[in-house]
Amino acid sequence: MTRRSAFVAVCLLFVAALSSEVSADGLVNEDVKRTVDLSTHLAKITAEIVLSNHGQSSVQSFILAVDADLAPHMAYIGASVKGDEEEHGTLELQQTSIQGQRGEFYKVLLPSTLAAGAQLKVKTEMMFSHVLKPFPTQITQAERQLVVFQGNHYLYSPYPTRSQTTRVRLASKTVESYTKLGNPSKTDEIIEYGPFRDVAPFSEDALKIHYENNTPFLTITSITRTIEVSHWGNIAVEETIDLRHTGAILKGPFSRYDYQRQSDSGISSVKSFKTILPASAQDVYYRDEIGNISTSHLQVLDDSVEVEVRPRFPLFGGWKTHYIIGYNLPSYEYLYTLGEQYALKMRLVDHVYDDQVIDYMTVKIILPEGAKNIHVDTPYKIDRMPNQLHYTYLDTFGRPVLVATKNNLVEQHIQDFVVHYTFNKILMLQEPLLVVGAFYILFFTVIIYVRLDFAITKDPAAEVRMKVASITEQVLTLVNRRLGLYRHMDEVVNRYKQSRDTGALNSGRKTLEADHRTLTSEISSLQARLKTEGSDLAEKVGEIQKLDGQVKELVCRSCSEAERLVGGKVKKETYIESEKSLTGRRQELISRIDSLLDAL
Amino acid sequence: KHNLCFYWSLCVTVKTVLKIYMFSAATIIKLCRKVDVFSIITKLDVYPGLMVTAGLIHYILNLLHVTVHIRDVCVFLAPVFSGLTAISTYLLTRELWNQGAGLLAACFIAIVPGYISRSVAGSFDNEGIAIFALQFTYYLWVKSVKTGSVFWTIGCCLSYFYMVSAWGGYVFIINLIPLHVFALLLMQRYSRRVYIAYSTFYIVGLILSMQVPFVGFQPIRTSEHMAAAGVFALLQAYAFLQYLKDRLTRQEFQTLFFLGISLAACIVFLTVIYLTYTGRAHKLQPVCVFLLSRLHSYAKIHIPIIASVSEHQPTTWVSFFFDLHILVCTFPAGLWFCIKNINDERVFVALYAISAVYFAGVMVRLMLTLTPVVCMLSAVAFSSVFEHYMGDDTKREKPPEKAEEGLGPNIKSIVTMLMLMLLMMFAVHCTWVTSNAYSSPSVVLASYNHDGTRNILDDFREAYYWLRQNTDEHARVMSWWDYGYQIAGMANRTTLVDNNTWNNSHIALVGKAMSSNESAAYEIMRSLDVDYVLIIFGGVIGYSGDDINKFLWMVRIAEGEHPKDIRESDYFTPQGEFRVDKAGSPTLLNCLMYKMSYYRFGEITPPGFDRTRNAEIGNKDIKFKHLEEAFTSEHWLVRIYKVKSVTSGLSRIVVRFILRTSVLLFFLLFFYFLLECGEA
Repeated sequence: MTRRSAFVAVCLLFVAALSSEVSADGLVNEDVKRTVDLSTHLAKITAEIVLSNHGQSSVQSFILAVDADLAPHMAYIGASVKGDEEEHGTLELQQTSIQGQRGEFYKVLLPSTLAAGAQLKVKTEMMFSHVLKPFPTQITQAERQLVVFQGNHYLYSPYPTRSQTTRVRLASKTVESYTKLGNPSKTDEIIEYGPFRDVAPFSEDALKIHYENNTPFLTITSITRTIEVSHWGNIAVEETIDLRHTGAILKGPFSRYDYQRQSDSGISSVKSFKTILPASAQDVYYRDEIGNISTSHLQVLDDSVEVEVRPRFPLFGGWKTHYIIGYNLPSYEYLYTLGEQYALKMRLVDHVYDDQVIDYMTVKIILPEGAKNIHVDTPYKIDRMPNQLHYTYLDTFGRPVLVATKNNLVEQHIQDFVVHYTFNKILMLQEPLLVVGAFYILFFTVIIYVRLDFAITKDPAAEVRMKVASITEQVLTLVNRRLGLYRHMDEVVNRYKQSRDTGALNSGRKTLEADHRTLTSEISSLQARLKTEGSDLAEKVGEIQKLDGQVKELVCRSCSEAERLVGGKVKKETYIESEKSLTGRRQELISRIDSLLDAL
Repeated sequence: KHNLCFYWSLCVTVKTVLKIYMFSAATIIKLCRKVDVFSIITKLDVYPGLMVTAGLIHYILNLLHVTVHIRDVCVFLAPVFSGLTAISTYLLTRELWNQGAGLLAACFIAIVPGYISRSVAGSFDNEGIAIFALQFTYYLWVKSVKTGSVFWTIGCCLSYFYMVSAWGGYVFIINLIPLHVFALLLMQRYSRRVYIAYSTFYIVGLILSMQVPFVGFQPIRTSEHMAAAGVFALLQAYAFLQYLKDRLTRQEFQTLFFLGISLAACIVFLTVIYLTYTGRAHKLQPVCVFLLSRLHSYAKIHIPIIASVSEHQPTTWVSFFFDLHILVCTFPAGLWFCIKNINDERVFVALYAISAVYFAGVMVRLMLTLTPVVCMLSAVAFSSVFEHYMGDDTKREKPPEKAEEGLGPNIKSIVTMLMLMLLMMFAVHCTWVTSNAYSSPSVVLASYNHDGTRNILDDFREAYYWLRQNTDEHARVMSWWDYGYQIAGMANRTTLVDNNTWNNSHIALVGKAMSSNESAAYEIMRSLDVDYVLIIFGGVIGYSGDDINKFLWMVRIAEGEHPKDIRESDYFTPQGEFRVDKAGSPTLLNCLMYKMSYYRFGEITPPGFDRTRNAEIGNKDIKFKHLEEAFTSEHWLVRIYKVKSVTSGLSRIVVRFILRTSVLLFFLLFFYFLLECGEA
């Protein structure tokens, strides 16, 4: 036994010597505290590493390695420097490769050079989705869900490690089995491995844990997030989500009785979850193809809006559902503008449920019609698709749609993107003008149709009626003008009574006579035309003429009366009396004429 | 509490027929992908008018970049068309009486419950657009009889064509218009206008109606169209005689007339003999006999499936009052006014009223054709009364009649007030009926707690959506036909029978499966290739419209086709009662429907108490051999069972075989080993 361990030690030393040659920059992991968090359906592996530079020269970067078996499932990787007091800054990562070694490698650029002999504390974080495999893969409603995790006892690293511990956090106390390298200690939900001393670079040792995990194994198999920007002050967000329970598949019947009566029946199923929306979200809707999903609650908090999303039915292993959730946001919180320049800053993907996993995401950003010079800044790499055009209410040449897709996202991907574009503000008037124009054309057509005659046949009766109407119109104006003449004459007479200017009276009388004659002849010609059209209105016009003749006579008489008064031929009292009777008769006649005119 | 109510508000305000709209919306979405409208028409076996209308509106709106979803078009189609109905009712009444009556009629039809039931948002139904087409056709017909212009008649034909493409009720038009013409002939009201109108209408309308694929050659084959043809021939003969009358002397004419009459009689006689000889006499069945037989007695006696639908029951007095309220009392007065001052078009409305009353009496569903004419005639009655009592006599310089002077201001105001009260009560009743009877979707149920909070029971959609998401795309679902459209629309799965199934034997087979015991039912289900069985069970929450309550119809329909296997009497107790408790008949207690409804129901507290039927169930120990509970909704309203497939049974047999043989082999080896040891 001792012989064998000595052999192993020699081997290890040999490998260590070999690998120190490989890592030419002379970095060594002095102390590693690794945490494998398996308490949800994700595997979160964090490591606090104390790096020390044992080489001759200072280094700018170090290499972070991911186990070959886990690498395809990796959703997120990040590294940060852990300072003593200040907040740790995240570091930039570049994917790289090392010849002859399995797995994925990332070059982490340090904020400042690490001098020879110096030490640095870094923290790395990796998230893996779909690495907890349910075993057995099918369970009945009464059974609990067991899963298997397979990983590495050691930190997979291109550098030798002086000392390391691995702490595994599980979802429950119940553990079927776990690998027992280095006699680990287990307390409740935690298994502690190590400390392991002097681990060679790239060392792997299979870690396998089979334990009970009833946390919701929910996966968003696909999500389409549509962001529609309107310059009238609104941003509409709609997410179409396909959800699946990716835990152990339900075997046999689903009994509602057991589910309702026994609290631990279907313990791994998902009844509801919470989605956190932005604080300014309004008009939230939650529905699917067949209408509103009535089993949901909304809670408005100070810094967010919480939706308790409850699918129509509880999700058991292997069951899936599909729904749409949407809301409106005020654009002033997310849309920035300077002249014609616009910038939209929003989350590329938002919270759906805690510890979410998105297998496939499509983001569609619909910009207003007429947006140009579009370019997008994303927080991480994302696959852009060719731009599309979207047509909605009153669009003419379509709104530009930016489309992007990405696989395998987790909570760490909830970050902001920025879209820059230019937009001519005049274009905002386009749609209102379009509506105005359409109504204008409509009304204009109606006007044209009503005013013009499109009939292909003639209707003589209607024509006659229209002719008669126009003639009576003329008669009306003429008669009114004639009545106006009398009023004018009255004034002339009154003035004459004061000034006693016979010349003015005579000239006034003359103009009256002349005007009256022309008007009367015009009216009688119109009357004749009415007669030829066969309208019975001609008689009425004749009557008006007759009455008018009497009025004229009265006017003339009052005129001559006035002359006689001025000439002193009559007394004032008699004049006033006769004048009164004359005006009385005149009023009567005029009212009769008026009533006749009304009848026309 | 329910803030996410964008869609919910719609759900509440829309009416019952969500199921139909869903189905039709799904169909239209599928159809509208094909650009060619006519290819759709030719492929359908239903009246295409509704779908084409909705599709066309959607297409035009989208052409103008008003991007409305087809679903929204479907939802709002009925209200929009009810607006058009109001306009055409106004026009028709204006032609019959005067403008005031027209306005009143439009107001009535806008709110009358009998029509609201078909025109609320969400009722995507043939009747919704058909009533508009009916009223508009009648308006154009009256107009063409009045003017004798071919223009109006062609308009009438086009409108008739639309009606034919929309609803089977077009038969009503094609019988009523000839009846009108016939009545005019009898009343010596023949004129050239009538001749022009009817000749044009019959020929053009006939040709147009035959263009609708679902109708095809029916207009010249079936007896319900024969009246129109007969009247057409009669009108031609009458016109010819009129022509001859002008040309010939009285003596000549009389001779000719008798000659013609006897010739015609001879021809008719010979035709009848010929047709009887060749066995086609049934095609000469008089229309009314046909309708009578079809709608009334025949349906009731021979087809339990038609009788099982509540809409096909005879109308009760209550439903007349419920749907029409005061109008049902006032419309005879309007009819009397019309008959008193008769002219050509009032003959029409009188015939319309009488025939519609008859049909409405036959079955509840035809209440719909009665409603417009009741609105029109009531409007006539109200309008005449108001004209008489509300006339402003200060303007009238000379009162034309002495009698009117007798009306004191008191009587006038009292009568006016009374009439207004009636109208007010009518409006209140309409709002009440609309909000209580026609505003809740039947898919979503609501219950109220003691404190007034509302509980929504969304079990139907829960189960349908489960089917849609978590079963195989080609799975076949067996359920009673009531839920066929819902399953097709909401769950997107194939059903055996649905609301449009006219094949009685299919429905009977499903009924037989439901009413047989499990193993017999399993045979039927296997032969029908059924994957899931869906039933509605209201025993937990006390929902009365569930499958157990409909069960006797299933039995009756099954008995109609399979009298040897199913007998209705087996499902009753010796006392003739239908009971689900211990006293119930054993056949009932062991049939598939009973077992599926009450599976594991005996375990809940109070033990197996059915709240719908207020009884403790008789069979609490239910086990299935060939079925397995697949899903039950939250309030147990919908229960879905999976039919265990043959392959799984086969694999079980194989596994059992392998296990047994391996055990056998193991023992053999063990004995062999023992023997070896013993020998050693």
